[in-house]
Amino acid sequence: MKKLEGKPLPKSIVGEQRFAFIEPDAGVLGPQFSFARYGQSQAELSEILPHLGEMVDEISIIKSVNTDQFNHAPAQIFLNTGSPLSGRPAMGAWATYGLGSESADLPGFVVLKSAGGISGGAANWSSGFLPSVHAGVPFRSKGDPILNVSSPHGVDRSIQERSIGLINALNEQTLADWKDPEIQTRIDNYEMAYRMQSSAPELMDLSGETEATMNMYGAEPGKESFANNCLLARRLVERGVRFIQLYHEGWDHHSNVVGGLKSQCKQTDQASAALLRDLKQRGLLEDTLVVWGGEFGRTAMVESNATLGRVNGRDHHPAAFTMWMAGGGIRKGQTLGETDELGYHVVKDPVHVHDLQATILHCLGLDHLRLTFRFKGRDFRLTDIHGNVVEKLLA
Amino acid sequence: MKRGTSIFIALGVYFSADVCLLRAQTEQSIGFTQSIKPILANKCFACHGPDQQKAGLRLDEAESAYRTLESGDRAIVPHQAEASLVVDRIFTDDPEALMPPPEKDNPLSAAEKDLLRKWIDQGAGYEEHWAHKPPRRPESPVVQSKEWSRTAIDLHVLANMEHEGLQPSPEADPYVLLRRVYLDLIGLPPTPDQIEQYIQDPRPNRYEHLVNELLMSPAYGERWARHWLDLARFADTNGYEKDRYRSIWPFRDWVINALNEGMPFDEFSIKQLAGDMLPNATEADRVATGFHRNTMMNEEGGIDIEEFRFESIVDRVNTTGTTWMGLAMGCAQCHGHKFDPVSHTEYWQLFAIFNNADEPEIDLHDPVIADQRAQIQSKIQQLTKSLKNQFPNQPGDQEEAIGTQFAEGQYYQQRFDQWLESAVGRAVGWTVLKPGSLHSKFHATLTTLPDQSVLASGDKPNRDIYTIELTCDLPFITGFRLEALAHPSLPDGGPGRAHFFQTGDFLLSEFIVETPDDQGGWVRHAFDKATDSHHKDKHEASKSLDGLLDTGWQIGGRTGEDHQAVFALKEAIQRDGEPIRVRITLDQSFIHQVTIGRFRLSATGDDRPEASGMPADVEALLAGGAKEWEATDMALLEGQFHREASELEGAREEIITLRRKLPSFPTTMVMLERKPEHTRTTFRRHRGEFLKPREEVGPGVPDMFHDWPEGRPVNRLTFARWLFEPGNPLTARVVMNRTWQAFFGKGIVTTPEDFGLQGAMPSQPDVLDWLAVEFEQSGWDMKHMHRLIVNSATYRQSSKLSEALLEKDPENRWLARGPRFRVDAETVRDIALHASGLLEQTIGGPSVFPPQPAGVGDLAYGGPGYKESEGADRYRRGLYTYWKRAVPYPGFMTFDAPNPERTCARRIRSNTPLQALTLLNDEVYVEAASSLAKRLLNDQALSDEERVGEAWMRLVGHPVSSAARQQILNYLQGEAVKLSQAPETVKQLTGVKQVTDATVRLAAWTLTCRVLLNLDEVITKS
Repeated sequence: MKKLEGKPLPKSIVGEQRFAFIEPDAGVLGPQFSFARYGQSQAELSEILPHLGEMVDEISIIKSVNTDQFNHAPAQIFLNTGSPLSGRPAMGAWATYGLGSESADLPGFVVLKSAGGISGGAANWSSGFLPSVHAGVPFRSKGDPILNVSSPHGVDRSIQERSIGLINALNEQTLADWKDPEIQTRIDNYEMAYRMQSSAPELMDLSGETEATMNMYGAEPGKESFANNCLLARRLVERGVRFIQLYHEGWDHHSNVVGGLKSQCKQTDQASAALLRDLKQRGLLEDTLVVWGGEFGRTAMVESNATLGRVNGRDHHPAAFTMWMAGGGIRKGQTLGETDELGYHVVKDPVHVHDLQATILHCLGLDHLRLTFRFKGRDFRLTDIHGNVVEKLLA
Repeated sequence: MKRGTSIFIALGVYFSADVCLLRAQTEQSIGFTQSIKPILANKCFACHGPDQQKAGLRLDEAESAYRTLESGDRAIVPHQAEASLVVDRIFTDDPEALMPPPEKDNPLSAAEKDLLRKWIDQGAGYEEHWAHKPPRRPESPVVQSKEWSRTAIDLHVLANMEHEGLQPSPEADPYVLLRRVYLDLIGLPPTPDQIEQYIQDPRPNRYEHLVNELLMSPAYGERWARHWLDLARFADTNGYEKDRYRSIWPFRDWVINALNEGMPFDEFSIKQLAGDMLPNATEADRVATGFHRNTMMNEEGGIDIEEFRFESIVDRVNTTGTTWMGLAMGCAQCHGHKFDPVSHTEYWQLFAIFNNADEPEIDLHDPVIADQRAQIQSKIQQLTKSLKNQFPNQPGDQEEAIGTQFAEGQYYQQRFDQWLESAVGRAVGWTVLKPGSLHSKFHATLTTLPDQSVLASGDKPNRDIYTIELTCDLPFITGFRLEALAHPSLPDGGPGRAHFFQTGDFLLSEFIVETPDDQGGWVRHAFDKATDSHHKDKHEASKSLDGLLDTGWQIGGRTGEDHQAVFALKEAIQRDGEPIRVRITLDQSFIHQVTIGRFRLSATGDDRPEASGMPADVEALLAGGAKEWEATDMALLEGQFHREASELEGAREEIITLRRKLPSFPTTMVMLERKPEHTRTTFRRHRGEFLKPREEVGPGVPDMFHDWPEGRPVNRLTFARWLFEPGNPLTARVVMNRTWQAFFGKGIVTTPEDFGLQGAMPSQPDVLDWLAVEFEQSGWDMKHMHRLIVNSATYRQSSKLSEALLEKDPENRWLARGPRFRVDAETVRDIALHASGLLEQTIGGPSVFPPQPAGVGDLAYGGPGYKESEGADRYRRGLYTYWKRAVPYPGFMTFDAPNPERTCARRIRSNTPLQALTLLNDEVYVEAASSLAKRLLNDQALSDEERVGEAWMRLVGHPVSSAARQQILNYLQGEAVKLSQAPETVKQLTGVKQVTDATVRLAAWTLTCRVLLNLDEVITKS
């Protein structure tokens, strides 16, 4: 890339690729950071990911992920649901549909968010046509972690207990009268709601964590941060929550890719590595799959635009980008896949988003070909009609 | 191959049940539809069906299946299983010959093989798929319980019930039935007064009278509009990343009104599908076409607008299939339908029908607003006329005034003459150029208007390049003028087409002028400079000459006005005998649809062409010279003087302020069929993909359907009418099935979105057909059908379950009891608001923003943008709640409101702890509890016992049992005692500062009402 700095890429490389903002003949922007090799596996990582460097022997780096979509909302929805159009179930919904939940007092699929809003919105954690109980439940770092999990002002735990006691007693009478099994379910749900009201604050209360743990993540109580969310993720794993997603927005560096990446990595590198380390030291990593990545990569070419005030940025690049996976079922300390020298096209071991999805389901013990749901006359799957498990990623 | 596997797994359960059923029937004849078709569909059709015919074999039609194959064999020989190749191939031990091929991992079970053999021996009779045959009114069956039936529906239901060995349940308790029919017809529970009135009504047909009243209630339209809006995928935002607000609530109002008026369903549908194409279409007819404008719009910066237009048409085809045809059209987008007879090409024919509309937003000429506008405009006119009178008699500047005394009007005249002289000096003589050919690179529709300006409409690409070829009679050209002109069809009045980010603006990247060279090519002319009448900061017209595509002329800040840029050539273009041929290119290569909506080109031979900043007509007058000016011309010139004179700055201010005060008309999104000369071409898309267009496809409908009306044009309007032609087997059934579902919780076909081979079979086909025929023959009268259903004995049954009934028919397939299920999301909230006296029953209008938990909007891209409504709008019915696709109202999502991203024919009905948390803790329900408590306490004549009864009546709709009342009173008294010791709690619960006995009581009652609001019976239709 350095050699081609400022020059356009040959048409033979760019092909018919569509871009969001730049023209196909934009000049190359050389590497902005230096790279070094880490760990026994000698994996190559950027200088701005020092913490991940320490955990690199635990992970599989995939340099050959590719997607069909080159705009945020469709690409995010594609990564989560297997279709670029909203309306299909997200991976987490499929997982809880296939496996159920091990948590009696927390939802099975939890979504955590730090930094800005997310392009794809609720479609990213939708249950689609699956029963809505499988939809991701966004937990908030401020206010109630779960909507309405706090009782109203003036209703303390004992009032709540007596109130639910009366609700259920009256519902018991209705049940005796009408014999509708739905009433029994509702009674059970009021009891679970009551339990959730104490388990959710307990989950969010980080005061029981040691200082060493807090420091390892870089977590600060009460702050909306990726670090706090990583720590919460571990606590959710411990409580049997099946599928946890952490969103951290702000990687869309159409301008100033250097400043943008530095800031983003500072917010995420330490906590990501800490999550791996923490899961490992608690013996949870072997049963927990950790996946790190975004909806697409960035171009080798520079983006600049006077009217939009953009300089030294990179546009969206769907043809090749990097993710990493670790934990349950994943081979440790390897780098899979290669691109050409420009990071433009995958030249070895391509992993399409549908392959990634098939592999994730596989690691969860689900066969992506068999996990189907009949809707509008068709059996739908997460991977649509595509996807192969990437055997090379598996331990 | 792999998909076969998944199908097998999912259906394994299905089959064993079917086979058991058949065993029970012993040696009865084997029904094709019930027993054989499901096997063939799941195991054989993928390779030997409507889409693919491997080895030339097609098994979904008798004729093809019996035919002699190329190999000389016959797959199926009726009555001769042993002579049939199919039997050979399914029983063989040879893995090479075995069908289905072992690698498909989708084998036939032994029972299925036996069934196929027996069926062939019995004659291999085929039957047309039930839903492809037009419905016929079934004959009245003979029933044992002759007294029970009230309507023909009941006779059929009863006959089926008796066949299953079931008996109807007794009629529901009048209180229960009353609440049921209220919730079903108007979506609100009855008030205690309404209950009392009904119970006291001595007429034997009080129920039928009540039904008629409810059908006339305006709340009826709101209730049934909500069902329809699910299908219409109605929402208030565009979806995807930006998910901005859109104004389409007038469509919701249209639906409510149409339903309340009792508009026949065919008319209701035709207007929504093609109201714009009706002869003499009214504004309301156009508003109706909003149905298909509820598709999402992607406004992310880097997208291809055409790709998402394409996706929205795919959605329209699929939604139409679901809503009117019960057909899973989506399957045929990528390949021929594997199970239903819709080919890949036929899908694209339907696509072509929907592919020929533009998608404008229109103003609605609300008479109240029109009147307000007229008043302000007449004031503006008066003020404009009076400008001259406001002109000072003396100069304001003291020095200039020294020694001069001006007579009346003299100073005005002096200033006007000065201005005129300078204006004549500024004016350039322009020749308006008549466009010869017009071309838009990305398919905008360019039309020349009578004044030679060009208006862009139709497709609105992200970026565009307009090319205009023309000839010019001038002897030589020194410069060109580009006028960017306002137009009412453009966003914010234009001149740009951008409808978001920079509404009404454009960005002209490059202005290019070329003339022909000798070799048949074009030579580009260099410019000296550019000037403009107005530009947005840093976006001067000269930026359209800098060779950079990301910079250019913009007029931001002054939309709705005319603007001009003048481009002066470096060297004049000389005429050489013939008129000068010119090609002008307006390169608008920026993103976000900032293209020019209306423009006009002129040329001049003037030696120093510059933008004068004056309107073209004024400039033309000035350039033409004084001798030809008439009185009207002078008025025009004076008008321009008034616009420019510094002496009138203050006076003009008032006019500008008034202009800003002009209220806008509400707008809505509609469909507008394109003119024949702008017909779009549709291509079949390989694998359904936008990027893979194949051969051209014309509009049409699938062959499997009833005939297309002879001689009618193949377009959206004929299509809409065709859906209601006699002989259509689907529309009436599909609509009646959904109607049944709304009342009984489940459709007669439990897959209301799919009546195809993969859909569920009707549980009671005779009931469905009776309803469908009645519906059609009633003139598609929805209210008539609703009346029939709620008056039926079937509907009026008690919904109490017994162990035996639960055992025998857990799903209530045979309707030996009434419906009992949790009400829809919006109704959950409507009941709480209504029962607590908070509901504001205003009908129609823009969406409202009731309270939602703090921080909900934070998940949205670009911030929340949810500003809570004040006052009564906080308590409107649920269907008016602002629906943001990316961050839907959480209280409704928790109760399974559908995501409006796709059409929804069937809501899921879940029962979850999050629902309990919502009812227990959400502000809406806490407020309702508090309001109800206050109401109960306000009536001081009531005892606490009576108050419990009153609350129960409001919420549950029947008298409270004494046991329940006692428990509630115990709770009330217990809490009151505790609260009297806990003043802080009382303050928090009631919001008061001073705790008294009365506030303790209010707090205790608030807690009690909160408990009652949470009861199963409150949110359940029993």
